[in-house]
Amino acid sequence: MSGFLDSLAYDLFPLVWSGIVTGCLYALGALGLVMIFKCSRVVNFSHGNVAGFAAFLVYGFSSGALMSLSWGTAVLLAVVCVVAIAFLTYALISPLIAESDLTATIATLGVGLIIQGATLLVFGADIVSLDLPVPRFSTSLLGLRITGYDLTVLSVAVVTIGTLFFVIDHTKLGIAFRAISSNPFAAEVCGLNLRRVHVFAWVVAAGLGVVGALLIVPTTFLSATTVAAFMLQAFAAAVVGGFASLPGSLIGGIMIGILMNLFTFYVSPEYSSTFLLVVILAALNVFPNGILATVSGSRV
Amino acid sequence: MSDALAPTSAGSPLPMPAGALAMRAGTVVLVLALAAVPFVLKGSWTYALGVTFANSIAVLSVSVLVRYGGEVSIGHGFFAAVGAYSVAILEQRLGVSVVLSLPVGVALGVLLGIAFAFPSRNISGIYLAVSTMALALALPELINNASDFTGGYQGLYVAKPVIPGADMGLQRYYVPLVALVAVAYALSQLRRSRQGMAMLLARTHPAAADAFGTRRVWARIAVMGVSCGIAALAGSVLAFASSTVSPSGYTLWTSIFLLVGSVVSVYGLTLPRALIGGAFLTIVPQLLSASGAWIPVMYGVALLAVILAAHFAPRLGALVRRRPGGV
Repeated sequence: MSGFLDSLAYDLFPLVWSGIVTGCLYALGALGLVMIFKCSRVVNFSHGNVAGFAAFLVYGFSSGALMSLSWGTAVLLAVVCVVAIAFLTYALISPLIAESDLTATIATLGVGLIIQGATLLVFGADIVSLDLPVPRFSTSLLGLRITGYDLTVLSVAVVTIGTLFFVIDHTKLGIAFRAISSNPFAAEVCGLNLRRVHVFAWVVAAGLGVVGALLIVPTTFLSATTVAAFMLQAFAAAVVGGFASLPGSLIGGIMIGILMNLFTFYVSPEYSSTFLLVVILAALNVFPNGILATVSGSRV
Repeated sequence: MSDALAPTSAGSPLPMPAGALAMRAGTVVLVLALAAVPFVLKGSWTYALGVTFANSIAVLSVSVLVRYGGEVSIGHGFFAAVGAYSVAILEQRLGVSVVLSLPVGVALGVLLGIAFAFPSRNISGIYLAVSTMALALALPELINNASDFTGGYQGLYVAKPVIPGADMGLQRYYVPLVALVAVAYALSQLRRSRQGMAMLLARTHPAAADAFGTRRVWARIAVMGVSCGIAALAGSVLAFASSTVSPSGYTLWTSIFLLVGSVVSVYGLTLPRALIGGAFLTIVPQLLSASGAWIPVMYGVALLAVILAAHFAPRLGALVRRRPGGV
């Protein structure tokens, strides 16, 4: 019995810890999806492809495949490219948003296909590796092995998400964003600029996607499909958190991170997508509007 | 949702107008012409056409969901795989041909479709899209991990003829053709049936549907069941037409491409429209087989082009009509 408890403590806490770390990254991806969904009711299925393309651009700009720049410059350039892509995508589908969110959602799949093809055309189907320039150190704290990578991920995620929540809570743009999310028509009547808020959401989402992709890639290899697969976790996080809730997607991301880690360790790594499917279906049954939804009735 | 997804469905009342009759006559001529094709063209052409017919059925299954349910599925490859693997596994285990295994596959498709629509029955359609996407991503690992049944990476062969002794090449052409015609006919009947009208009403005017006693939950689950049954039928027929079933044929890409085919056929539920979508899905990969990376680009561009054209063409038309002299 105590052996079991020992192994539990020995395995479980490190698993939960690394689950929290990767969960933050899923949350970054999910926040990008939710930002766009909240204000325009469009699910951006190109999110993962664009983020993956960004990671490839960083690789291409810094490794000599396209240019040989320093890592920081490469990231800056990749962010510029991705923001341009986000802006173009929005410009392309903005006429559709007013007409039907479903049509606009299908259009984002088209954008995703084009970006995916472009990644394959420019970089090929090979697998490359892309590291983060972080100090390689590791320390032991309460039996947990904490690496420089873990701390980088956590601090970047905390700073990014903290900034995002601050902007949404306290700036004019953030207030406009919230107003448009809760009632686009009334917000427009009050003189808010719908397009500016939409562009803000798309650009911020693209930025969050890039951060998430760059941080997740060192744990795996980079291929044309890696980040798109990582996006399934982000989608699952968004569903668990309720697609329209920013704090929900943060909690959903961390939950998915921990659950995935426990599942792959204790059950099987071969069924991870199936497990996510089950989580999504279960979440839809148990919390149709996300874990943070308040139970409310309606009067007829 | 929006009317743009259903450009023609609103207009046709129950008795058939003259235009629809002409359309129907045209469809009959088209079917007769297709039935005569094997007497003129040979081998590889009839094979490609057989696959096209099967893909057309799959395109129809996605279009039904969009038109009758206002929902998007990015996972119809899963339901096609259910049909395809039913045919292949039943042939391998019990030695039965597609005639007996096809109903099993369709029934499984309907049941699974309902099972997957159920959790999202009360909430916005994006949840259905996301859960079907997860379904499509989970499918290859399910197939590969159940390799005792599914043959794993190598897949399975489908070789049992429907009519013993007859030429297999011809059977692989006519079975998909018959299935496609049957599905297109059934869909035209659905449009005129009570159930079909109730589903359309539940989609376009939920409150009115409630008043008439059609529950939205029923409508969504029924539409998904019909659509997934057709998808499973398409998979069964595809397995027979192409003689193999393997996981590489049923990835997330398959599902996305089926949606592309449906958009390219402008969500049409008629046989000619479905053929356009199916042909697009069959021909583009063959043309671009030398450089696979162009396929997603082509599909993406086609998707956006059709969607944007559908959005802007009516507006441009109205603009031209408003100015008497044209532009």
